[in-house]
Amino acid sequence: MIGDPLSPFRKVGDWSYFLRDIGRAFRDPKTYVPETIRQMRNIGVDSLPLAAIVAGFIGAVTAFQTRYQLFGGVQLSVVGLISRQSIILELGPLLTGLVLTGRVGARITAEIGTMRVTEQIDALETLAYDPVAYLVVPRLIAALLMLPVLTILADAIGVGTAMFTAVTATDVTTADFTAGLRLSFTPFQIVYSIIKATIFGGAIAFFCSYEGYTANVGAEGVGRSTAQAVVVTSVAILVFDALIALLLAPYLQA
Amino acid sequence: MKTRDEVLVGLIVTAAIIVTVLGSLWLARGGLSKGYPLYAKFPWGAGLKQGQPVLLVGVNVGYVDQVDLHQDGTLVTMLRIQKNYKVPITSKAAVVPNGIFGDQAVALTPSRPDPRAFKPDDTIPTGPSTPGIAQLTSKADSIATSVNAVTSALQHEMVAAGGIRDLRNAINSTNRLVSEFAAVAEEQSRQLSATLTSLRRATGAIDPAKVDSTVKNLRTASANMSEMSAQLKETSGKLDVIIAKVDSGNGSAAKLLNDPGAYNDVRKLLQRMDSLVADIKKNPKRYINVRLF
Repeated sequence: MIGDPLSPFRKVGDWSYFLRDIGRAFRDPKTYVPETIRQMRNIGVDSLPLAAIVAGFIGAVTAFQTRYQLFGGVQLSVVGLISRQSIILELGPLLTGLVLTGRVGARITAEIGTMRVTEQIDALETLAYDPVAYLVVPRLIAALLMLPVLTILADAIGVGTAMFTAVTATDVTTADFTAGLRLSFTPFQIVYSIIKATIFGGAIAFFCSYEGYTANVGAEGVGRSTAQAVVVTSVAILVFDALIALLLAPYLQA
Repeated sequence: MKTRDEVLVGLIVTAAIIVTVLGSLWLARGGLSKGYPLYAKFPWGAGLKQGQPVLLVGVNVGYVDQVDLHQDGTLVTMLRIQKNYKVPITSKAAVVPNGIFGDQAVALTPSRPDPRAFKPDDTIPTGPSTPGIAQLTSKADSIATSVNAVTSALQHEMVAAGGIRDLRNAINSTNRLVSEFAAVAEEQSRQLSATLTSLRRATGAIDPAKVDSTVKNLRTASANMSEMSAQLKETSGKLDVIIAKVDSGNGSAAKLLNDPGAYNDVRKLLQRMDSLVADIKKNPKRYINVRLF
């Protein structure tokens, strides 16, 4: 692999073929719709506690650290403003995406990879089932739908714990924090968070499904694919995060 | 199992939608209550943006809902005021700094309490805005520039042009002058002391008894003078009476003085006496005949 200068292009080409297969698979709703609800439960409902815990702690830490980095004379409403912007615009979607990469993405790769190495995918093809429509599309739709849902809830929990921490553990009052929360708020900030979460969800489902779908034979192959899926997806999420910020951040200003 | 999945997914999606809608409403408007709009026109560059607080005499009563840029040099600002607050009709709107980082708020300040209030969609007149950090900084900059210029001028005048040296010389001259003044004052003081001593001595040499007798004599002389003055006055009165009588032409003297005939007679008499004297001189023997034997 190392030393092959064309390997990145080969990879991008493989991803493109896989994307094409997914696009074709969307023409077969009878295969993926029944499975989609189950995947939404797995990806969304079952991940809620983890996403909530992460968001809660991140919100608390953000508010606490923000308060103690302000020098004297700065109005305390800044704590609310910085907490809101940090959580809604960045930490909420990004950390939810990264956490779900570990919890959901690894599971997707392991499930599909195991089916690949145990030739269940071949069996599906034999039964005239489109394996992509049955295995990948439901997960992709579920991730695209549930990541925004989880991110919105994570944002709310993060802001809530930030407010609770700031008010109870520091000298910031509820009025100060609320004034900062409302300052320069535009609904596009929520939309921005949802856009990020949707793209992160798509990245998780796509890259993790691809790594599982192309897993090598054997338990070791599944393990390697899973590890690679987590790495690729994490990096992809960070890259997309930067790109979205580059493209959409200018529209955030109130 | 599948039904349970659907319920759980439905619950979480519904929760997310509710959180999104209510959270956005709460953050953007402060709650489901929309409040009523008031408008204010501020000049360009007022630093206003959506979400900034609106303060009625310092109390947060709403927020800036919308800022529209108009080509006539104004920012038409929609203020969303909570329904339970009324803005007195005497109020004026001004952009005031909020904190030290250049953030702004809209302050509504009534000139006096008034039960009448602005109605929804009314436009509040604007008052003078308080300078923000940016304006203060630019003012401080211009002050610093002036201070710099003054310092440079001082440096030039006092150091380069020898002002400090001149000042030092002036101080030395003044010091010398003050020393001379001090010496003169000391000499004067010494002489004054001597004069006072002499005066004291002279005062001690005066005999009070003599002074008393002199004063008594003076008093007596004064009394005599007063008496003499009275007598003179009396004499003058008598003279006045005599003159009056002479003037009236009564009495011998008056007639003598006032009658031209008498005057003529006297003249004639004098002429005759003159001619007699001349004749005597000419012919003494006619009148004088002296015989001794």
